[in-house]
Amino acid sequence: MIQEILVLVTFLIAVGFLLKKFFWKSPQKATDTGSACGKSDCGCH
Amino acid sequence: MPKQINVALIGNPNTGKTSVFNHLTGLNQQVGNYPGITVEKKEGICKLPRGLKAHILDLPGTYSLNASSLDENIVIELLLNKNDKDYPDVAVVVSDVENLKRNLLLFTQIKDLGIPTILVINMADRMERKGISLDVELMEKRLQTKIALVSARKKTGIEELKELIINHRQISTEPCVNASSIAPDYFDRLRKAFPNQSLYKLWLVITQDVNFGNLNRNSLENTPDFQTKKKSDLKRLQQKETIVRYQFINGVLKETFKKDVAAAKDLRSRLDRILTHQVWGYVIFFGILLLIFQAIYDWSSYPMDLIDSTFAFLGEWTKDALPSGVFTNLISEGIIPGLGGIVIFIPQIAFLFLFISLLEESGYMSRVVFLMDRVMRRFGLSGKSVVPLVSGTACAIPAVMATRNIEDWKERLITILVVPFTTCSARLPVYLIIIALVIPNERVLGIFNLQGLTLMLLYLLGFGMSVFSAWVLNKILKIKSKTYFVIEMPDYKLPLFKNVGINVVEKTKSFVFGAGKIILAISIILWVLASYGPTDEFDRAEEIVSEQYGETLSSEEFENHVASVKLENSYIGMMGKGIEPIVRPLGYDWKIGIAIVSSFAAREVFVGTLATIYSVGSDEEKTIKDRMAAETNPILGGPLFNFASGISLLLFYAFAMQCMSTLAIVKRETNSWKWPALQLVAMSGIAYVAALAAFQLLK
Repeated sequence: MIQEILVLVTFLIAVGFLLKKFFWKSPQKATDTGSACGKSDCGCH
Repeated sequence: MPKQINVALIGNPNTGKTSVFNHLTGLNQQVGNYPGITVEKKEGICKLPRGLKAHILDLPGTYSLNASSLDENIVIELLLNKNDKDYPDVAVVVSDVENLKRNLLLFTQIKDLGIPTILVINMADRMERKGISLDVELMEKRLQTKIALVSARKKTGIEELKELIINHRQISTEPCVNASSIAPDYFDRLRKAFPNQSLYKLWLVITQDVNFGNLNRNSLENTPDFQTKKKSDLKRLQQKETIVRYQFINGVLKETFKKDVAAAKDLRSRLDRILTHQVWGYVIFFGILLLIFQAIYDWSSYPMDLIDSTFAFLGEWTKDALPSGVFTNLISEGIIPGLGGIVIFIPQIAFLFLFISLLEESGYMSRVVFLMDRVMRRFGLSGKSVVPLVSGTACAIPAVMATRNIEDWKERLITILVVPFTTCSARLPVYLIIIALVIPNERVLGIFNLQGLTLMLLYLLGFGMSVFSAWVLNKILKIKSKTYFVIEMPDYKLPLFKNVGINVVEKTKSFVFGAGKIILAISIILWVLASYGPTDEFDRAEEIVSEQYGETLSSEEFENHVASVKLENSYIGMMGKGIEPIVRPLGYDWKIGIAIVSSFAAREVFVGTLATIYSVGSDEEKTIKDRMAAETNPILGGPLFNFASGISLLLFYAFAMQCMSTLAIVKRETNSWKWPALQLVAMSGIAYVAALAAFQLLK
């Protein structure tokens, strides 16, 4: 039973990690359109 | 004329400015700090003929008046502030004869401030060796200045420079570039709002946030008659200014500067002649590529075998050491094989980055970029596209971001769209395992490893496909464009092994940890989906096998058949069966189909997925390669991974857009979903057709 619960918890953590990795946008990134030059990572410097 | 002339010594870093300063001032130097900051201030007194003296201020090295650091700001603040006690009567811009084009950008900016400006061309003693000839008189005329040819190393030209400093009032203060040409309407408004100010000085105040007497950016922005622009618009105008200046500089140098490469006698020029030769340059480049891929295979096979068997042992050991149960099975059959599928490729990836770092550090990579520019132009790209394409061998994401230095939108867009075809490090695990399974480990002509040659061909295929797609896109996309290519060739040097080591460790680490987490998560999910099933058949697997085979099977055979029935009736088995009709014509079974679908997020997941699927229910200590080699084709019979299906898979992964992160970054860079959608559909289509054709022709 404990092993079943551990598998379920591990499975949910894995699913959560992938959802966060590929579908969740941080508020900071969401507002950054990346089109403006002049930011430190804009590639122009 | 005052008894003491204020002279500002300005120049790009590494032009020999400080050597000129030392020759002018001798021991009459003082070193201090600029007030309030820790930037070093060097000044000295130069004794001139006719009893005159010059106060020489050696300003910090800067590439342009578009400041990006504190010490560069000092140069602008001084040149804009006439009230500063050090404000120069004359500016001396020191340049390097080998980098005149880049150095003249700063010269034209300073001259346009209305300060008498002398151009010092340093390292003049190298001109003959480098095959350089200069029409100094014409250059003086075109730049409206006086030029001193100096060799700080041989102490020549210093007296002539002193004469020019004395006679600085004879130098024209006319600008090189008409500032209004950058944005006529904007500068017209600027002129009307501030009729008594120098336009170029105003422009620098607006763009650089520096003080100019009683004017600063805030006071300019608050002037009712003048509406300034947004920061991003100003940045664009600054870029336009740089382009206008380089157009002027190119024109001047075209008339006055000649470099006869054939006449150059130094070692660098001799090497350049060979390494960038129209024939030998390419032969040497491909020879080096061949060597790299041979070495990757030959050197890394021993550590790879060790890692593979270690993970196989670890899986078995975990099963024995931990209490039996589903969680132990998850660790031994899901997590460990999944992780093994990524760790095994560390040696080859480290060797690849070792060689790339050595080529970059030695200065050879810049020659490759220059060499490839000739090829790229025929396909609608410029030499600047080579940098993203070369970066793409590591990862498409930084490569897409590296396209930002391509000014022309059409070239940039095409480069973004074709970059994912280059072989990134995520493809490497897929290539390596499939090549190991379907290409014999034999030597060709007794020297070349056939597997190494195949890997090299796949890299060339990726590069070739990028270039071909660029040619097609160049024909299809109706966007007008014009661009130029400038690259500075660094000197050849022995690579700094510390830099190479750091680069290899960083790149390998980011590959392992970046991909490792995703692979671990997907391995766990896949194991769960493969270990549980919704149907009655899944629960009755033992019964079904007993009914089918009776007592004829050994216990090992019985367990293998039970595992197989369970897998087919598990969640993942049912999903795999659902997509099997689509992948069957390519020579794949449902397990490969699942691996392809799961690797849509990231290509490197493919091997980990197969390692997990093939490990479920198995108690044997086998390596990933052994398990894959043992798989049989359920319909055609024989090994599942044979030459036809192997080549089909290699081609599929060579062309398919299997990377969600790349799609996201393309959306960000193009600010539209249209282009990543086009990329996804086109690349997947090409991959499917190529894989289908390969399997059907070779089976």
